[in-house]
Amino acid sequence: MIKSQKEKIQRVLAGLFSIGAFLALWQWAVVSTTLGQLMPGPITVITSFIQAFSVPIGTCTIQQHVGWSLSRVMIAYLVAAVVGIGLGVLMGWNPKIEAIFKPLYDIIRPIPPIAWIPLSIVWFGLGEMTKYFLIFLSAFSNITLNAYEGAKSVDPVLMGASRMLGANRTQTLLTVVLPASMPFIFAGLQVAISTSWATVVAAEMVRSTEGVGWVIVSAQDTNDMNQTLVGILAIGIVGFILATIMRGVETRLCKWNKSE
Amino acid sequence: MESNPKVRVNHLTKKFGDLLVLDDISFDIPEGELLCVVGPTGCGKTTFLNSLTKLYDITSGEILVNNEPVNLKKQNLAYIFQENSTMPWLNVEQNVSFGLDIKKVPEKEKKERVEEFLDIVGLTPFRKYYPSQLSSSMLQRVAIARAFATKPELLLMDEPYGQLDIELRFKLEDELVKLWQKTKTTVFFITHNIEEAVYLGQKIMILTNKPTKVKKVLDNPLPRPRDITSPDFIDLRNQVTDLIKWW
Repeated sequence: MIKSQKEKIQRVLAGLFSIGAFLALWQWAVVSTTLGQLMPGPITVITSFIQAFSVPIGTCTIQQHVGWSLSRVMIAYLVAAVVGIGLGVLMGWNPKIEAIFKPLYDIIRPIPPIAWIPLSIVWFGLGEMTKYFLIFLSAFSNITLNAYEGAKSVDPVLMGASRMLGANRTQTLLTVVLPASMPFIFAGLQVAISTSWATVVAAEMVRSTEGVGWVIVSAQDTNDMNQTLVGILAIGIVGFILATIMRGVETRLCKWNKSE
Repeated sequence: MESNPKVRVNHLTKKFGDLLVLDDISFDIPEGELLCVVGPTGCGKTTFLNSLTKLYDITSGEILVNNEPVNLKKQNLAYIFQENSTMPWLNVEQNVSFGLDIKKVPEKEKKERVEEFLDIVGLTPFRKYYPSQLSSSMLQRVAIARAFATKPELLLMDEPYGQLDIELRFKLEDELVKLWQKTKTTVFFITHNIEEAVYLGQKIMILTNKPTKVKKVLDNPLPRPRDITSPDFIDLRNQVTDLIKWW
């Protein structure tokens, strides 16, 4: 117990050290090289970031921009999680469902979400639906693939054991296939939360007036590198928090997967 | 042939393509019997068991449990595999309860049975442990408790102790005898270990090399607890060894 706490502290310190070293290198590069003519240093960016909590960028403060982006990500991500886990597990478990959906999925999977922008505007217009759709696509792809792999890799002995105990197909799906796939599903959810958060920037390039993606895109229009970095910092911090929350949920729900 | 056996196997034949594995096997198992099946390595013992339980489709013949064709949903059968078959996401208590959940046993009865069988296999102190925290012998005890907790009409065991060391094997064999005597379950126990078959079996069925037939069924009248060093035990073990020899 003491050892694990010590290890945790060491890990946090190592992480803080690498972040500190990165910021120091950035600051040095801005002060000592021509990079300073192109972009601000970390102190300026962090100060602007803190100021953005009270001084609006466009029509919203930074926390309101984050709120907008987060709501878009979470709505699309949750829909992608439900559809992706359902489809992936069913494809991995049932050869007939796999035969019907897997080829179509394999064609859609490698297409990058931003390639869908023109088509999604035609389908859904310039409103929120297009943004949800693009984020959905980026999350759906990873979640489905991992759920599929999870269901495919269920130990046949466990399936046989449940069948021998009298389980019907639905019981086997719910009591064996789904829980056995959980570590894979969580790995997919982890990757998907990052890709969704990354895709929100592309999605908010499609006519929006709020969101962290808009903060970056509008800064590009005005050559405001400081605002660009404030937007990037917001994306990084929120992405880190989301990934940490997801890891916590996984640790709690899949504690059986870690031997002590 | 028995007049009303628990299990009746009539002319069971199993082919994989042109390969004949099980060749016209017939036998009965009376209710409450502990039958051990031994045969040379690779003779098709597991195929035999998987055919009995319909995990494999049989080529011809019939298998009756209580005079009805095998139906896993209707009949209460349990199977203990060679490999670890505990559910890794469930703790010991939940694993023992797994079959009872499947069979929708009422909550009160389920709790009582889980307590009873956790106690019998000595895992009550480990009830909250996950399989990843248990040793191989403890995992097999969880599988055994899970199987017995469902009070099966027929318990099929496929070399369940094959991967354990000799000391643990003896311990679990004694535990199995204790459970069998207490529950009067009909047990079909497959092993390649002749000593194990003589130690456990009320009867010993000896299989031939492929294509597999029943070579002989021996009665085992040795009193329990059995002494593996007694002359009678050694004599019976030698008899089985002679019958199993194919060289």
